[in-house]
Formats: sequence, C-alpha cells, structure tokens
Amino acid sequence: MRKRQIRAVIKKDIKAVTSSFQLWLPMLLLPVVFSLLLPCLLILPAYKYDISERSILEVLNNLPPGELRETIFSFASTNQQMVYFSVHYLFAPFLLIIPLMAASVLGAGSFAREKERKTMESLLFAPISAPDLFRAKIFAAFIPAVLLTFFSFLLYGTTVNLAAYRLFGGLIFPRPHWLILLFWVSPALSLGAVFLNVFISARVKGFQEAYQLGAVTVLPLIALIAGQITGVLLLNNTVLWLLGAGLWLLDFFLIRRAGRYLDRNKLFATLAS
Amino acid sequence: MEKNNNAILILIYVTIIKMNFFPTRPVLLMRGEIMGKPVIIMEKVNKAFLPGVRVIDNLSFSVQKGEIIGILGPNGAGKTTTIRLLNGVLYPDTGRISVAGFDPVSAGDEVRKRCGVLTESAGLYEHMTARENLLFFAELYGVAEPVRQAERLLSEFGLADAARKKVGAFSTGMKKRLGIAKALLHDPDVLFLDEPTTGLDPEGSRDLLNYIKELNREYRVTILLATHLLKQVQDLGDRFLFLERGRLLESGTFVELEGKYLREITLQVETGLAVSGDEFAGFPVVKKAPGYLWFRLENKDAVPLLLEKILAVAPVYSAVITGRDLETIYFKIREEKR
Repeated sequence: MRKRQIRAVIKKDIKAVTSSFQLWLPMLLLPVVFSLLLPCLLILPAYKYDISERSILEVLNNLPPGELRETIFSFASTNQQMVYFSVHYLFAPFLLIIPLMAASVLGAGSFAREKERKTMESLLFAPISAPDLFRAKIFAAFIPAVLLTFFSFLLYGTTVNLAAYRLFGGLIFPRPHWLILLFWVSPALSLGAVFLNVFISARVKGFQEAYQLGAVTVLPLIALIAGQITGVLLLNNTVLWLLGAGLWLLDFFLIRRAGRYLDRNKLFATLAS
Repeated sequence: MEKNNNAILILIYVTIIKMNFFPTRPVLLMRGEIMGKPVIIMEKVNKAFLPGVRVIDNLSFSVQKGEIIGILGPNGAGKTTTIRLLNGVLYPDTGRISVAGFDPVSAGDEVRKRCGVLTESAGLYEHMTARENLLFFAELYGVAEPVRQAERLLSEFGLADAARKKVGAFSTGMKKRLGIAKALLHDPDVLFLDEPTTGLDPEGSRDLLNYIKELNREYRVTILLATHLLKQVQDLGDRFLFLERGRLLESGTFVELEGKYLREITLQVETGLAVSGDEFAGFPVVKKAPGYLWFRLENKDAVPLLLEKILAVAPVYSAVITGRDLETIYFKIREEKR
C-alpha cells in the first residue's frame, strides 16, 4: 500500500512536469548551453587560433607526477593540452550545476504548487503518511533531475568527441572520473538539493517564496561544493568516491530527520487560508 | 406437489429480494465500531491557531452510525476546522477525538481510510483529466479495482463523456460532482461534505442532495454536512449542530429544536375575512395583506379553533404555518444563546 501510494504521487508529479511546457523548457536550455554551446566555443577556435591561457598552463605545469600529467603532456600542442584539461576538469562544475538547477525548480514546486492549486488539502485528507508524502515528493523531483543530468552528460560527451575528433585524431571522452561523478557524486548532490528545496517548499506558502528562499540558502551552499570539484578531481578518484559517500550519508541523515519536522499539522499550517 | 414447492421457493426468493436482505454492498459494522457506540466522538476539544484565539472552543458531540448530521453556522463558526480535526489533518490542543474507534492524531491513516471528504474547492488536479484524477486518488486510497471503480463513479455522476477531458475545462458543477466521486472512491463509512452545493445550480444541488440521501439510506454511510444553506439540509439531516465561534450553541433533531425554540407559531390564512383591529376572536393578527391574514398562535392545537371561528363568518381558501423552518430556529438559537 505504501509503495503504491508513493509511486502514485511520483507518477502524478512527473506527469505534471512533462506536461508543463513552461517548466521543462528552461530546464532543457541548461544542457544546450553547458553541454553543447560551451564545449563548442572552447574546442572549435582551437583549430585556428592559439587558445592557451597562462594561468591554466601554470596549473598544468604544477600537476603532480602521475597518469594525468603524462596524458596531458603526451599531446604536442598547448591547444590540445588546454582543450583536454578544460573539457575534463574545468567544465565539470558547470555540469554539476544542471542537476542543481533542476532540483531547485522541481523541489521548490513540490509542495508549494499543491498549495497554490488548492490540492494540498486533498493529499492531506488521504491515508498517506506525511513522511511518505515527503519521500514521494523528493523522488518526484530527484528522478527528473538525475535523468536530465544523464542526458546532459551524454550530450556533453557526444559534443566533445565530435568537436575534438580532428584535433586529437580520436575520441577523448570520457575519463574514469566522469563515471564516478555521473553515477555517484552528482546524484548525491542532487538529492541534497532536492531535499532542502522540498523541505522549504513544505514550510512556505507558495512557489515564489520557496524558489527564492531555496535560491538564497541552498544554491550557494551546493554551488560551493560543485565549485570545488575541479580541485577534487585533480587529487584522485578515491577522494571523489569519499566525497560522494559523505554526501550520500548526509542526505540519508537529513531525510531521516526531516520526518520529525513534518507532520500533517505542520504541513497544513502553511496552507494559505 | 412439486409445482407448489417451486411456487413457495419463488415466493421466499422474491420476499428476500424485496426486503433487500442482500444489498449490493453488505451493511457491516465498521472496524472498531461497537453496536450502539458512536462512530464519531468529540469531547471537550479546543483548538487555537493564535495564542488565546480559539477557533474551536470546548466542543463536544457524538454521531451514531448511519446518521446525517448538519453542521450549521456562519462563516468562521468552525465547521471546516471541525472536519479537519476529525480527519487528523489538524491536531487538537486539548480534548479527545475518536472516529470509527481510532484517534485521528495517533492513527490518522486508519481514520482517513474510512472517511471520504469533499472540500469546498474539490481539490482536483486541473491539468489532469477526470479519469486520471480518480485513478490517482484510487491509488492513494488503495482501491482494489481502481479502473472499474473510477469508471463506475464517472458514469454514476454523469461524467462518463467528459472522463478524458482536463478538469481545468470543467464547470463548477462538474468539478463538484467529480469531487464527490473522488470522496466515494474507497467506499467510505463516513462522508464529510464541506459546503457541497456551493457553486451548483438548483438542479445540481437537488440531484446532489438526493444522491447523499440515497447513499445514506442504501449503505448506511454516516454523513456530516457542513453548510450555511439551511433550507437545503432541513429535510436531509437527522440532527443538527449549531456552531458559532467554535462553540456548540445547540444540537438536536428538527422536532426537538422546533419544540424548544418555536414556542409560538404564525398561521398564514388566505381568507375573505376583514379584520379592522389587531385581533380576531382573541387571536392576535400580526400582519395583513389583501386576501391574507397572519395570526400568532401559542401552539399548533389552536389552529382548528381559529379556522373554525373564521369559517363561521368568512370563507378560508388556504392555511399555512409559516416560520417553521430551520432558518427561523437558527436565528432564534443565535438570539437566545448570545
């Protein structure tokens, strides 16, 4: 019964997203910018112009000895080195922003839109427990956010390989860290963002309030983590595994604790009368 | 001999069917219900949204299985809050509540499994079709055969043709009917209706009230109907609860309330009698109009005597006791209890 209820809410919410043009169009624009335009703008000029940047070359020269340093310096031209380093390391934070943005929009709308459309009371009158409703709302925002991330990575990889094929004479994407990032770190980060936005959404009256509050409190926090990813990637994959594990643990802890702060009475208290 | 036996068997069979020994839905006691024990109990319940401002003030009442209760009162009387408290959507500050033998706070889902609610706004998803709405709520309520149940209700409420249309395009009446269908998806034992006829045209209101009556008669569904449209519930309710500012001002059956509050009656008589003063044969005349007189009487027993006196001197075409309705009782109660 509980699984059936949770599944029903998830299905209903995902349908609401896919049937709302205004909701999914801005989210689809993000991958187009970060996964298509940005890599093209970096790679294509490298065929004709010198794109080397001093500060990045310094970072490359200071890389510790190892597989990455060897791979990068195996390329003859600085343009190749610049492109390889940028597409694999510098752009990683941008790709982490996609699930975060999606999580913010979807999470903020989860309860707030129910309140605005006066359907929240119908949910509260149904025999689904408040924690189950909360979990269902989290999954309903988390699943599309993760799918959008997968799509973005796929688009990014395809763009990079096609655009850089002639420059390198072969495929350069992905490196192993992308897979850890895609399947381990990024979902954990998305879940955290979804959780915080859904929690805010449950405690405020409308979508605008939820979105703004989410943007002020959640995004900078998560963006900070995302921004440090380049540095973490340069260390080694073990650190990436550990970062993901830490995030998953934090998500698990927060979701478990949230049940205490969300009962029907509290969910109802935020309903606009 | 065999023919006679068959005739007797057919007779017994027809009698059973006629007496409705096997109704389409078996009439069973609800879980937690003990014969004669109320289905709903509210005992000294208090609820405040702001400190010191009580929206429910020491409210106590009980409801027996199969009763239709009219919860009456002006806006802000606490009718909707009472429904929310009974369903565990709001928690009381103090007091005890029991619905179908369960506490709505500690066993809210058990209560909600047995209750159906029609909220004032119907609470439907406008971007979804009528059918999708019912199927979604059927899943939430754990309905065994969601598709069959949704289609049965859509057809029962005259929405079969609109089943695949988005609810956003529905009229208020259609939304209300779909809202009722939603509330009945899981065959609830208790039905809460909050202003069910708001936005409905007279025909829609009549159909809905008839359906409620039928539902109660056929399946013994206990019904709590919150409204401020007194005329609509007068014939429907078994008992009435009058609320004001969260307090229970009065409760009782129509007959009990009538006996308590309508101590005098007004008789409207269509007659050729002309009265010059303000009384006739000792009966005070309270109002006059061409062809009509209104008399104030102490009780119904005085009616034949008055009519006899009038008939002795003038014709009488009709006589109706006026002001004998729930609305008059409602205002009397508010006047006296304030």
